[in-house]
Amino acid sequence: MSWTSILADIIGATILFAVPLLLVALGGMFSERSGVINIALEGIMIVGALCSCLTLVGLDKAGFGTTHPQLGMFIAILVAAASGAVFSLLLAFASINLRADQTIGGTALNMLAPAFAIVLTWAVQGQGQTTILIPTWTRITQENFGIEKADTFFQNLIFKSFYLTTIVAVILFICAYVLMYKTRFGLRLRSCGEHPQAADSVGINVFKMRYAGVIISGCLGGIGGLAFTVAAGSGFQSSVAGYGFLALAVMIFGNWKPFTILGASLFFALFKIIGSYSDSIPFLPSFKNVNSSEYIYLMLPYVVTMIVLILTSKHSRAPKAEGIPYDKGTR
Amino acid sequence: MSDYVIEMLNITKRFPGIVANDNITLQLKKGEVHALLGENGAGKSTLMSVLFGLYQPEEGCIKKNGEVVKINDPNDANALHIGMVHQHFKLVECFSVLDNIILGVEPNKMGFLQKKEARAKVLELSEKYGLKVDPDALIEDISVGMQQRVEILKMLYRENEILIFDEPTAVLTPQEIDELMEIMRGFKAEGKSILFITHKLNEIMAVADRCTVLRKGKYMGTVNVADTTKEELSKMMVGRNVNFKVDKCDCKPGETVFKAEHVTVPSKLHKKNAVNDVSFEVRAGEIVCLAGIEGNGQTEFVQGITGLTKMSSGRIELLGKDITNATIREKSIMGISHIPEDRHKHGLVLDYSLEQNMVLQQYWEPQFQHNGFIKQQAVREYAEKLIDQFDVRSGQGPITTARSMSGGNQQKAIIAREISKDPKLLIAVQPTRGLDVGAIEYIHKQLVKERDEGKAVLLVSLELDEVMNVSDRILVMYEGEIVGEFDPKTVTVQELGLYMAGAKRQDGHDSKKEEA
Amino acid sequence: MKNYFKSKGFITVLASVISIVVGLLIGFILLIVFNPAYAVGGLGSIVSKGFSSSDKFAKVLYQAAPLIMTGLSVGFAFKTGLFNIGATGQYTVGAFMALVFGIQFQMPWWVCLLAAMIGGAIWGFIPGICKALFNVNEVITSIMFNWLGLFMVNLLLNNMPVMLADHWGASNKDRTAALASANPSAIIPKLGLNELFHSNYMNISIFIAIIIAVVIYIILEKRTFGYELKACGFNKDASIYAGINAKRNIVLSMVISGALAGIGGGIYYLSGTAQYTIVKSLLTMGFNGIPVALLGASSPIGIIFAALFISYIQVGGEALQPEYAKEIIDIIIAVIIYLSAFSLLVKNILGKFIKTDTSNVNAEDKAPTPPEPAPVKTTEAAPTEEKGGNE
Repeated sequence: MSWTSILADIIGATILFAVPLLLVALGGMFSERSGVINIALEGIMIVGALCSCLTLVGLDKAGFGTTHPQLGMFIAILVAAASGAVFSLLLAFASINLRADQTIGGTALNMLAPAFAIVLTWAVQGQGQTTILIPTWTRITQENFGIEKADTFFQNLIFKSFYLTTIVAVILFICAYVLMYKTRFGLRLRSCGEHPQAADSVGINVFKMRYAGVIISGCLGGIGGLAFTVAAGSGFQSSVAGYGFLALAVMIFGNWKPFTILGASLFFALFKIIGSYSDSIPFLPSFKNVNSSEYIYLMLPYVVTMIVLILTSKHSRAPKAEGIPYDKGTR
Repeated sequence: MSDYVIEMLNITKRFPGIVANDNITLQLKKGEVHALLGENGAGKSTLMSVLFGLYQPEEGCIKKNGEVVKINDPNDANALHIGMVHQHFKLVECFSVLDNIILGVEPNKMGFLQKKEARAKVLELSEKYGLKVDPDALIEDISVGMQQRVEILKMLYRENEILIFDEPTAVLTPQEIDELMEIMRGFKAEGKSILFITHKLNEIMAVADRCTVLRKGKYMGTVNVADTTKEELSKMMVGRNVNFKVDKCDCKPGETVFKAEHVTVPSKLHKKNAVNDVSFEVRAGEIVCLAGIEGNGQTEFVQGITGLTKMSSGRIELLGKDITNATIREKSIMGISHIPEDRHKHGLVLDYSLEQNMVLQQYWEPQFQHNGFIKQQAVREYAEKLIDQFDVRSGQGPITTARSMSGGNQQKAIIAREISKDPKLLIAVQPTRGLDVGAIEYIHKQLVKERDEGKAVLLVSLELDEVMNVSDRILVMYEGEIVGEFDPKTVTVQELGLYMAGAKRQDGHDSKKEEA
Repeated sequence: MKNYFKSKGFITVLASVISIVVGLLIGFILLIVFNPAYAVGGLGSIVSKGFSSSDKFAKVLYQAAPLIMTGLSVGFAFKTGLFNIGATGQYTVGAFMALVFGIQFQMPWWVCLLAAMIGGAIWGFIPGICKALFNVNEVITSIMFNWLGLFMVNLLLNNMPVMLADHWGASNKDRTAALASANPSAIIPKLGLNELFHSNYMNISIFIAIIIAVVIYIILEKRTFGYELKACGFNKDASIYAGINAKRNIVLSMVISGALAGIGGGIYYLSGTAQYTIVKSLLTMGFNGIPVALLGASSPIGIIFAALFISYIQVGGEALQPEYAKEIIDIIIAVIIYLSAFSLLVKNILGKFIKTDTSNVNAEDKAPTPPEPAPVKTTEAAPTEEKGGNE
């Protein structure tokens, strides 16, 4: 392989894995800036992935997928968003209405989601069938654009692993930024995460805004789950391999702001990808004498996050009222 | 049409265990300044929360211009043109002034913010009423006085006709208070109606037309300010004659107990120093008061010398011994007691029982533990002794959870604990904040008693009455520096105000700085 | 006075029982939904399997021992106001250390257990020090340390041929050697209990766990150290004001918490019946410490019973297969945690019912200040300081 095709592969794969991180971290941002700590992102991703993958399989069986591949994928994305949103309602209900501890509620959901996914996958696919395979038509190929397949840099970059989720992520990123900073809704949402009493005193319904924040995080988290599953490539196995937690780290690393979150997700994805390409990149150590050296690269993003968190802890600006249940009586 | 723009008739609001508002009537005429007077805990805030729709009363009704209205939330209040400057400002600190003003009534097209027109309106209002603000500044970067102007602009932006000011003067210098009174008179002249919540009689006499008095949740009556006196009002408020003067003999200062030299403490909020090169002494048998407007470094100074935050430079001494680098516990052992500013944050572990709180700094002493095991019986006896001695009231005595006690009794518990440690230096930061007159009198007496027993007392207070009545010597702090030293017997409140606002500064305190 | 405490404890227990009942109910509904024919039998096996034979009961005890340890780990941190979601990482590292000392260094079981304790302690120490010195939220750090611990252990095991089963005559390479063939002296003694229960699962680990729980109880409730830790947990600022070294206590609390989870990993994998399998997913035994701690209201004694219960329904859950996936039990457990997240609310509601006849002392002497709104802080579970890392 030439170095250009390796470079194209690396960039393409980085984007592929950055997409779920970006979506989920943006989701976390909406929830946390409304004042609800969303540690349940992992669970939300799993539920989104579960439901959308089942949808894809269903569409495939019905023959709809092969005839309308991208429409089918779009439906799956909608299902992922909707199921993530519904699941996130459990977090919203516990933490907003019942004023429960948000971290513990989220932990419960993180336990619930994979268990539920396994149980449901069993029920749908039969005993011991724990993997839901993703139909191959979901990928966007040169054919979709009527382009001749060629081994050029750009084709390698774009078409090697191109899914509708990537396009959706770009659109959602722009929407998220505009929504957060240019609209009435965004201003109100942020005020609820910073000073809910102030928001309440000017007639903003803190409960509603926090519900909105959590539901948006559910939508984005659900889509992120699907995006992760297509990126991982091996089908859905009732797990998103800790990406929900990694997205949480991306969000903190990104200081709860869209553009820095974008940067952080690319950075994290790059580290993940470098690991798999370490043999082909000359300047990287390949750990020839070490068995299963992939673990070293799996550990890297976490180590880097730790260091970054320690270095930036002084400048970190979490929403002030995050994690504190809002009680009208507290003034 | 009715004479009154707003009437709150026979309002009763109950909470589990208490009646916060018991059949209270308040009638506000158009174009008047109406004072609502009452002690802390008299039910003023509850009444205002009812008016704002934060609480629903069990009985009674609210009328606007003679018609019954239902106020379910602040939006309803806003729709009726009622606005309020809250005692604790309702401002989002990391938002700009403009964002805070428009929050909740944002001008928008299809949900997209249109800040341009909002900015023009804010600038126009700020010009018209002389409320100078920078619309793009962040709230966290501007002074408390300016934050209050933002709150007032919030009401004006919403074109409110009924303006409520909840204890607005607590954060202002005497001169700023005068300005605020002037602004209120201006609103009144425009036909706006003002409800002015306070417990300060001077301000009522200065600006209010009528005054409604509450006591312990009950309605005591409404009087024309012109026909009454301060004494009468205070009697209505407290239920007895109050002697605002604290009885005390002249102070006989002894040896120097505490000495601060060039103390500097960095700020947590901004890059400048919160306390800058502060030096003074406190001697045995005197009460030295650090006066000043909130946020001028008093809090940071006390946190610096007690060890809650780190001083960046300077040196402190207790009875001639350098304690600059001593830990909090070492300072406590050497004889510093500290009644903290925030009793819930620092003073008490609210989920601990009263007895556990009583030994908060001493649980490790041989008196209370043996080989690392806590002597429960000894703790119990000690707590019972203090409860008895200081008359701390609680539901279940020593085993009461601190959280379930009233504010006054929580403060009494802290004072009992701190005084019983038999300190050399007693530091009391706003020890009477939020308490009723009875508790305030009690605490003042305790402070004077400690002084008379030869202890050194350092009092930090924002209340000028307290500063003037209790202290033997006054140090005024402004922007982290001491700008003047006064004898309460000879100085006037107005004079202090000029120093507190930074308008004046004594030479001695300037030159000292140059030496350093 | 005594009556009051009794009722408070009673309410806590009642709240836990309600969580359990609702959890089981939801589990039952799932059984009906997925396979109605077996639903009743399935529920039956969940609630009765653990007592069906002495072997099953031995298995309940065998799994309960590490659960008690991870439950204590999470509960102990809760008492200091920290949420140690990293128990599973500490458990993994503890297990690894125990096995290394057992297989690689051929040490006796108690040395292995000490090594497990140290391993877990180190894995708790790092999030603790990050929290204390840099104010980095311990939840985030511990989550990352879970993965780091898992990956590191897997990496090391793959590079320590002696540790793996195939070195000791077995055919598999994906797991550690069975202690029976590698080093029988590293197996926790059975003291004849296996004969008594007719079960290979039985050993003294449950007693070790219970003794440690009692020691933790004494530390928390009777010792000045416990007084300090709890003061930090309830109100860090006040504890600093009182001269308590809060930073040191945060670190110590995480170290002890990690050590407890590490011992948990040790006693499970030193039983002689378990082998560590190299997979890329976190061990649930560590995560299950969270429901155990919540169900036991963070009280060491409560945790013993909670762990027995969770272990009991897990043994029942295994009997559900093949009609259902055994993960239905995880759903039940998740529901129980979900409910205990708002246990305070449940307690308040129950408290109102019960208070009418036992005591209303709280309301009596309250001065006429407007009431403070119901304290939001959940005493045993909520690290209200949690949004660390952002001053």
